[in-house]
Amino acid sequence: MTWPGSFRRQETTHVRLLTVLGLTVLTLVVTFFLPPVADSQLAGGAAITIVILGLSWLIGWSGQISLGNSGFMAVGAYAAGIWAHHHTASPLIFTFLLATVVGGISGLIVAIPSTRLRGPYLAGMTLAFAAAITPLAQNFTSVTGGEGGLFFNTLTTPAWFLHFFSGANASINANAQWTADLAVVIAGFMFFLMANLFHSRSGRAMRLVRDNDVAAELMGINLSRTRTLAFVVAAAFAGLGGSLFAIINATVRPESFPLTLSITLLTLMVLGGIGTLSGAVIGGIIYSFSANLVSHVNSLTGVNPTSNLGANMQGIIFGVLLILTMLFAPRGIAGLIQRIRSFIYSRS
Amino acid sequence: MTDTNTRRITLELADVTVRFGGLLALNDVSFRVHENEIVGLIGPNGAGKTTAFNVVCGFQKPTSGTVSFPSIGRGALKPSQLAKAGVARTLQGVGLFRQLTILENVMAGAQSRPGGHIGASILGMPSGLKVERSLRDEAMFHLERLGITKFAAALPGGVPYGIAKKVSIARALMAKPQLLMLDEPASGLDEKELAEFVGLIGELRQTMSVLLVEHNMDFVMQLVDNLVVLNFGQVIAIGTPSDISTNPDVLAAYLGID
Ligand SMILES: Nc1ncnc2c1ncn2[C@@H]1O[C@H](COP(=O)(O)OP(=O)(O)OP(=O)(O)O)[C@@H](O)[C@H]1O
Ligand SMILES: [Mg+2]
Repeated sequence: MTWPGSFRRQETTHVRLLTVLGLTVLTLVVTFFLPPVADSQLAGGAAITIVILGLSWLIGWSGQISLGNSGFMAVGAYAAGIWAHHHTASPLIFTFLLATVVGGISGLIVAIPSTRLRGPYLAGMTLAFAAAITPLAQNFTSVTGGEGGLFFNTLTTPAWFLHFFSGANASINANAQWTADLAVVIAGFMFFLMANLFHSRSGRAMRLVRDNDVAAELMGINLSRTRTLAFVVAAAFAGLGGSLFAIINATVRPESFPLTLSITLLTLMVLGGIGTLSGAVIGGIIYSFSANLVSHVNSLTGVNPTSNLGANMQGIIFGVLLILTMLFAPRGIAGLIQRIRSFIYSRS
Repeated sequence: MTDTNTRRITLELADVTVRFGGLLALNDVSFRVHENEIVGLIGPNGAGKTTAFNVVCGFQKPTSGTVSFPSIGRGALKPSQLAKAGVARTLQGVGLFRQLTILENVMAGAQSRPGGHIGASILGMPSGLKVERSLRDEAMFHLERLGITKFAAALPGGVPYGIAKKVSIARALMAKPQLLMLDEPASGLDEKELAEFVGLIGELRQTMSVLLVEHNMDFVMQLVDNLVVLNFGQVIAIGTPSDISTNPDVLAAYLGID
């Protein structure tokens, strides 16, 4: 029997694994040539990529909207922060696992009352959750450190890694790059997991529920369980991304994960390409360099960065980019690249 | 059919009543579908045919009465339990998944099979892949059987209506059903497709029972063993096509409507 080519491509894990490994190693090499500031930005972008992967799964694949992903990030970050604050010798991997699990549980708690809700009601519910996190963190001072937040230093650059660096700023360079490399490796691993999920039977279940819930039920799918699973996975990814974010910054504070971050995440996901793996990476890259973009635009337009307008420039730029994307590339940059590629192939 | 008394019963409705406010959509409806039997459910518009299907599938709870699947050994089922128990249904219209390819649509029919657990698949373990690959082969087999393999990679929106109907049947067959329920399978098909369809159902009956709702009388008469005629939610006749075509109550119901 002969198969249409596109089916064979998605089916093998080792191809997927090799692709992810290749891209990860390439990015690691790039971090070596980046200045420390850019390395730190890249680390943040890697954390955001993980969150967008989950969001893309939730919105693009299961068809459920969430404005609460900044809240799931906060849950993961606080879980990691509280744990690391008290158990300074705990291995890093354990902190990450804990943040992932606690994030997933928060997703479960939000999902149970939410799976009956659709569209704007679901958006409102998840938004309320995200909005509740900041005041919670501010009030439970004994656990969360209140306004001041928690400081924890869990990242120590290993001695062997320091050997690669010399000169005046050797340790600063090494620390920045170690952080970036760690974040990139974790993001690469999570990318691999999500790629597997996308092409699995569970991934198909999500799309069935999204496309036609009556027919999906007749296929034997339990609708509320499937919708809940989508939330749990998205929240687990967000929890891990949030904890990585906190660990990179060695701190977590109530205002680390504002509501506007949820909007930023949505924007980045749409810019990259909703429901695509590469779109999540593109979103993460845009996030990495959004600070540079903002200062560029501020200096080009002569806007004072400390003015009201200047301080909100990121929101304005993202807003404009979002409108342009929806008008000219509804499937995001990933979709645009796909279109250009098939255009080139069809001509050659 | 006289031998129905000795055959095992696949589906049984006993005194099923469904009330929507003041409206009796089904009134004390009882009928059976036996193993390897093809039963047609007919009746004028609004007679309660789709409601009867919905009761069987668990989409609609009966106000009173029971639904059971004796040969499967099950009582009333929830919609999400049907596939696993061996009951497959096609929806009125087409009911495919818009953004999935035809092949994926057919594979979805086996969604309830064991294997392909999320834990194994998230890690990309070979076990999950093996199951997926065998599902794909099986889906291709059904597409081939229906002569529509060349549409495997297309989206439902991009294929003719007759093809989409075949896809929905291929999807139902993936569940290896003991009872296949078809809601107006013939609507929108041309003469040639209808003839093919009669042949297909004839083959399928070797391994399953079929219950179908149909408006096309010529088609239904040459296909089924028994007919259940509904009118205003009531069973007005049960019998073979030749019995039914001369039944005065049935003629009155149809002539009264027309
Ligand atoms: N959910 C509902 N709420 C209220 N009334 C309903 C509902 N579903 C069906 N009905 C009514 O019950 C009666 C039977 O409807 P049903 O759809 O079962 O008829 P049908 O035989 O399938 O008709 P058709 O041939 O037009 O498809 C109709 O009068 C219909 O208006
Ligand atoms: Mg109907």
